[in-house]
Amino acid sequence: MGFSFLAPIFLAGLAALAIPIIVHLTHRERKDAIAFPSLMFVRRIPYKTHRRQKIRHWLLFLMRSLAVVLFVAAFARPLLEGDGASATSFAGAREVVVLLDRSHSMAYGERWDRAADAARRAFAGLGPDDRATLVAFAERAEAITQPTSDRTVLDGALDGLEVGGGVTRYGPAIELAREIVERTDRPRSEVFLITDFQRTGWDARQAVSLPRGTVLTRVQVADPDASNLAVTRAALMRSRSGGRERAALSALVANLGVEAVEDVDATLVLDGEEIETRSVSLEAGEVVTLQFDNFVVPRGPTRGVVRVGDDDLPDDNEFRFVVEPDEPISILIIEPRAGSADHSLYLRRALAVGGQPGFEIDVRRVTGLSTDDLDGRDLVILNDAPFPGGVNGQRLRSLVEEGAGLLAVLGRRSPPGAWPEDVIDFLPVAFGGPLDRSSGGGATLSYLDYDHPVFGLFRAPRSGDFSSPRFFRYRRMETTESARVLARFDDGSIALAEGQQGDGTVIVWASGFENFWNDLAVQPVFLPHVHQLAKYLVEYEEPRPFYRVGNVIDLWESPIVEDGDVSAGTELFVERPVGGPSVLRLSEENRFLQLNEIGFHRVGYVGGDDDGAFVVATNLDPRESDLTAIDPEEMAGALTAEGDAEVTALEAIVLSPEDLERRQGLWWYLLVGAATLLLLETLISNWLSRAKPAKARS
Amino acid sequence: MRISSFLDPAVLARIDNLELLARTVVDGFINGLHRSPYLGLSIDFAEHRPYMPGDDIRRIDWRVFGRTDRFYVKEFEADTNTNFVVLLDISRSMDYASQAISKLDYARYLTACLSYFSRQQRDRVGLVTFDQDIVEMVPPSAKHLDVVLHTVDRIKPGGTGELEAPLLKVAEAIKRRSILALVSDLYHEPQSVLRAASYLKNKGNDVLIFHVLDPAEINFPFEGAAHFEDLESGERMPVVPERQAEEYRALMSAHLDELAHLLVSNGMDYFLFDTSKPLDYALFQYLSRRVRLSRGRVR
Repeated sequence: MGFSFLAPIFLAGLAALAIPIIVHLTHRERKDAIAFPSLMFVRRIPYKTHRRQKIRHWLLFLMRSLAVVLFVAAFARPLLEGDGASATSFAGAREVVVLLDRSHSMAYGERWDRAADAARRAFAGLGPDDRATLVAFAERAEAITQPTSDRTVLDGALDGLEVGGGVTRYGPAIELAREIVERTDRPRSEVFLITDFQRTGWDARQAVSLPRGTVLTRVQVADPDASNLAVTRAALMRSRSGGRERAALSALVANLGVEAVEDVDATLVLDGEEIETRSVSLEAGEVVTLQFDNFVVPRGPTRGVVRVGDDDLPDDNEFRFVVEPDEPISILIIEPRAGSADHSLYLRRALAVGGQPGFEIDVRRVTGLSTDDLDGRDLVILNDAPFPGGVNGQRLRSLVEEGAGLLAVLGRRSPPGAWPEDVIDFLPVAFGGPLDRSSGGGATLSYLDYDHPVFGLFRAPRSGDFSSPRFFRYRRMETTESARVLARFDDGSIALAEGQQGDGTVIVWASGFENFWNDLAVQPVFLPHVHQLAKYLVEYEEPRPFYRVGNVIDLWESPIVEDGDVSAGTELFVERPVGGPSVLRLSEENRFLQLNEIGFHRVGYVGGDDDGAFVVATNLDPRESDLTAIDPEEMAGALTAEGDAEVTALEAIVLSPEDLERRQGLWWYLLVGAATLLLLETLISNWLSRAKPAKARS
Repeated sequence: MRISSFLDPAVLARIDNLELLARTVVDGFINGLHRSPYLGLSIDFAEHRPYMPGDDIRRIDWRVFGRTDRFYVKEFEADTNTNFVVLLDISRSMDYASQAISKLDYARYLTACLSYFSRQQRDRVGLVTFDQDIVEMVPPSAKHLDVVLHTVDRIKPGGTGELEAPLLKVAEAIKRRSILALVSDLYHEPQSVLRAASYLKNKGNDVLIFHVLDPAEINFPFEGAAHFEDLESGERMPVVPERQAEEYRALMSAHLDELAHLLVSNGMDYFLFDTSKPLDYALFQYLSRRVRLSRGRVR
């Protein structure tokens, strides 16, 4: 085993030994001036100088000289030559953690190949006493192997890995590396971070760091000038005309590369057929919204794709979605016998706005009602009309108990006496005569249950002002045990209450909707409030056109289960974008389908027909399309925030003299020795300089 | 804890990218505000436009529907489109550092943060750098944040510092009423500083003066006799700090008091910073002033 230097040229620095000698011999008047911004406030004061031209403190002289020798030797990077094993054992065995990024951005170009090569080289550099763990990470981190010295195990685990569809998150990976390093009994630890350093994966506010003394070796595999065109989002705007549902697709296209792109085709494809192609040009970093023409929504679930350009990360050049018909909600408004022609004007106009969901509204007088009018309704609104009697009342009861919604608006034409006695208990409240609050400017709503879906939309500031409506009259209401109060007036009276009847929901408003007892109908909040009430009462769920990788579907809540006759043990097939179909036996525990691949997933009954299956589209998380890299120095600085962790950049991992020297780290001990010597020298010289004047005074 | 540590100028000095630095400071600062009443300032009603399918139905003006039988959507926009220009002193004396960062670096960070912050408020941002004359000028524009940051990034310390001549030129060059933030170490006689700032103030601008000093310039913590060299003139003086420090501090304190008195009594805002102070303190001062200006405009 020999002793040599990696950078012997620095030994020329030994000439610096002359410095302390010169300092000692020529402690002359200081020629170097202290730079100061302005001498505006400084007065001139002469000062005296002293000359000392002989060595007076040999100990200090020797300490300074030795410190210089150690500094020079440290910069010359000494190493003990020999085989890697002996070199490793000199400084102690290592606990090595290889953090390998397998988020989807690593599929760009040859990043993954470079990353796998770097991991292999890291394993190749292990000494006989070293131990390594392979950790693969995307949004989560997973130890692929246990800590082991067996390279076959490590290489085998590496060969079995491939790029996933997940997003990059560095926090969990660093946390896992920290846990492994903290548990180890090895004297030294080293973490290899092999990644493209995607900026979106790094959250500087996350308090993650490596333990003291850990060497962080970062391997950057990103391409410097990556180009990437991505469709990051698509939205369907539905409308209804002539009884046909139409949809217009708008797609967000982003140029996330460093160069502009000219005249790239953007194509809308439905069920494999190209519907429309548009040309788009984007500057670097630009995002545009592409609006495609209306198309008629097909009758069954249809697979749609928006495709833009072609580059080294093809999965985000396509955005997949599923479009299926959104059946309109059928609403029957029942008016009182003596109501005016415009009795339900505000209600009708409010429900006519918007196409998602669309509302099909019919209006009937309570006196002219038939059971046919009630059949097939999703929601019935008693707009200040009494509950119908006879067969109509029975039909309405059964309709609600089977799952339809009922909204009872109790205005001026709904005295308790107008309601049949046998249906009063159908409401979640008992109601009485009107309460007059017209003196004093009217009552206001003072309590809203923002946890309830009816009011959840208005929770955020400036998202709906319920303090403006004034209520001059409203009915006294008292709840039954099963009722839930959703809103109260400022005197504590109940304004809105909810109850269940069978599978249906009943909601009661204590005042009218006709701008007479109150001005709610002319307030901005009326329109969204009515929509929220209607959507809640019919349990409306917006069709979800796409999911992101990593999302989970609860199959118990999926259309295939809701519409079919399903019990625990039912077998479902799952067709994934990659690989063949698999079979899943549905149970309370085995009910979640995780969407891990980009593309279309199809789920149906084993042995069932095609119509029974449902399709979901899965897309890449848009954060993963942004290939902007964070400065590895910035991230490494935060990860080694605890102080003395060491950061090195790695281009090639072989047992070169450089590696050997780095692993031995002798320079570090020399540097510490030199710093200690200088500290001692300072203390002694200070003591000497204080002792001398005291001696002189005595 | 981590956010506040990021606001330490010494920590920020490790970040090379000025935009990242400004974003770190400003976003951290804004996050720290939580539900501050300041955040609601910039939204104001602008106009109505017809409802189109896909619009958020919460924005439909139901009152207008009641009157016109048509659906209209309320449009909102920021109301604070004003000019914000930083006048940055890059004279040689600003290149002084007794600690981790120099006054010029601190001023650069401050400029970046104020500009970034103002741009978030939808102001038009501009920049003037000067020593004895104007060195570079970026006119205020809604699109000039990048140019401002790029210019600030390229700044090199200039020569001798002068205040009156360059600020007179600035006052003549800026035509529209603006918020002008002067960032300098103000090594000039207070009356001269007042004259220079008044050129700007008298043109109807709102003037904010950020006086940046190194802690060593205020405390004069030096020990041991030595020659002191004036960074701008190169003049050297032998100094015995132990004897002179007290008097120096008194002179500096009187200078600062007089500056503050003169500038504030003439309707300008004066803020003193030493380079060890976190940048969010500067942002807070600026924001407080900005809020007062907005309220004044409403009245």
